[in-house]
Amino acid sequence: MGAPFFEIKNLSIRFGGLLALDNFSMALDGGAIHALIGPNGAGKSTVFNCISRFYDPSMGDILFEGKSILSHPPHAISTIGIARTFQNIELFATMTVLENVLVGMMPKVPRYLGFVPGLRRNSIERHAVERAEALLERSGLADFRNIPAAELDFGRQKTLDVIRALASEPKLLVMDEPAAGLRNREIAALDKLLVDLVKSEGVTILLVEHVMQLVMSVADKITVLNQGVKIAEGSPAQVKSDPAVIQAYLGKGAHA
Amino acid sequence: MYGSVSLRQLLPLLALLVGGFVLPMFTNEYYLYLGNVLMMYAVLAIGLDILMGWAGQFAFAHTAFFGLGCYTTALLNIKWGIPFMVGMPMAALLAGAVGVLVAIPATRMRDIYLALATFAFAEGMFWVFNTWEPVTGGSTGLRIISSNVLGFKVSNDVTAFPVSMALMCLMIAAAMYLSKSRLGREMSAVRDSEHVAMSCGIDVRRTKVIAFGISAIYAGVAGGMFTLAQSFASPEQFGFNTAILVLTMIVVGGMGTLPGVLIGVLILSMLPEVLRTTMRSYQIWQELVYGLILILSIMFMPRGIWGSLAGYFVTRDSSTSTVKRL
Repeated sequence: MGAPFFEIKNLSIRFGGLLALDNFSMALDGGAIHALIGPNGAGKSTVFNCISRFYDPSMGDILFEGKSILSHPPHAISTIGIARTFQNIELFATMTVLENVLVGMMPKVPRYLGFVPGLRRNSIERHAVERAEALLERSGLADFRNIPAAELDFGRQKTLDVIRALASEPKLLVMDEPAAGLRNREIAALDKLLVDLVKSEGVTILLVEHVMQLVMSVADKITVLNQGVKIAEGSPAQVKSDPAVIQAYLGKGAHA
Repeated sequence: MYGSVSLRQLLPLLALLVGGFVLPMFTNEYYLYLGNVLMMYAVLAIGLDILMGWAGQFAFAHTAFFGLGCYTTALLNIKWGIPFMVGMPMAALLAGAVGVLVAIPATRMRDIYLALATFAFAEGMFWVFNTWEPVTGGSTGLRIISSNVLGFKVSNDVTAFPVSMALMCLMIAAAMYLSKSRLGREMSAVRDSEHVAMSCGIDVRRTKVIAFGISAIYAGVAGGMFTLAQSFASPEQFGFNTAILVLTMIVVGGMGTLPGVLIGVLILSMLPEVLRTTMRSYQIWQELVYGLILILSIMFMPRGIWGSLAGYFVTRDSSTSTVKRL
């Protein structure tokens, strides 16, 4: 085995007087689901924003398939195979459901000039639309493809957010609280979707999540972050019984 | 907003094009004058809409590129006798290039800061038009000579009409293609959410800079169209009032939609003529009426006339449970 599939090495980031991440490291195995949990303000979203290259870490490195991603601009991240979903669903609100998926697919679609009238649809474009429609079909959104994304109900907006990320055929899918606000039935569907993705598509998933029911069920490995510092790492069972984790979540002197 | 433009969608433009050559034979010159003004504003407004309505960049430099296009086309003709079909594209490309140069620093800013920075540039250009007397004629204005379009002499509303029509149709067709292109989709994505666009692989700054460039080219072409029928250019025509007028056009008609923009252009470029015949001393009231229309439109039709119409039909559609609109 060479370098890990994805590795965060000694990452630190400081916002003014706040050390949001302090010498944080974690490694992901390919083809697994890895959850990153921790109380509010622990620095989970900061980790994600570093992976998306929205933030520049003060120190440390992020390696994907053995190569640093920190030299890439934010818009190159999806091209190298890392896609993400957002905590408070962020869709292209005025664009249709289909267009949202087509934008997500852009990293995989070559640039072209579809400027010939008469050729009703450029073949590249037609192929992209076909693939997008297949994705929508599979996720039950096909009937909504021509309505603006903002008009979907909450659950379907969440689904679309995931579908848009998957459209770029990522090797690593970074998901920020995909279960937030979902009902139990929808969480069960999400659970199944994540396991399916790993099994059938070979996608590796990094998950930030507060819904423990989902985390404990799908995660192969869990990393716990508190106030910018890693306090525990291991299998769900190990993490659940770790005293440091219980203390971080429930306060000093608490018992599980 | 995907696929290509079908020939059927281009048919209305062909009809307009034919009209452009036929109408001047039996229409009175006053209506041709109105038509020329309208077509110029259509190109100007579509250009502003590409930047504001499609790419979501609230910029106010549009009239500067309009002026640049006008003065450059006119001066190339006056000083070196460069024919319109060469001079106008050169002027439009110059406007586009300046647009890109302005955009490179300006796109580091957003919202009100972008609006102020681009407004400052527009005021700077206005100052140049107004004070560089040996070239632009300064505040007294520039006398525009007749243009040579493919060997024909164009100097009044009758001769300018078919040329304006051809240019407008060309620019509308280009916008239709752009709206269906990958670039058009990238612009919409940038407008809706910059950081999601980024994480979907879109180079946000590059997209904005290109939108600025294309928008400025449209303004430059409109400036070139200005020189066809008009015999005089003065700096005020490229000042703040025009900027507000064009903004009102796209807001009232419906930002981000081609039919909406054309409706806005139609209403607001005809308005002065209506006011002229119904109000005395209308010029005093004109700005007030524009302001009132803008405010009322934002309050009661935030998506513009076209947006409201489309919304009306969609709600009626969904009440009969049809979701598929296309």
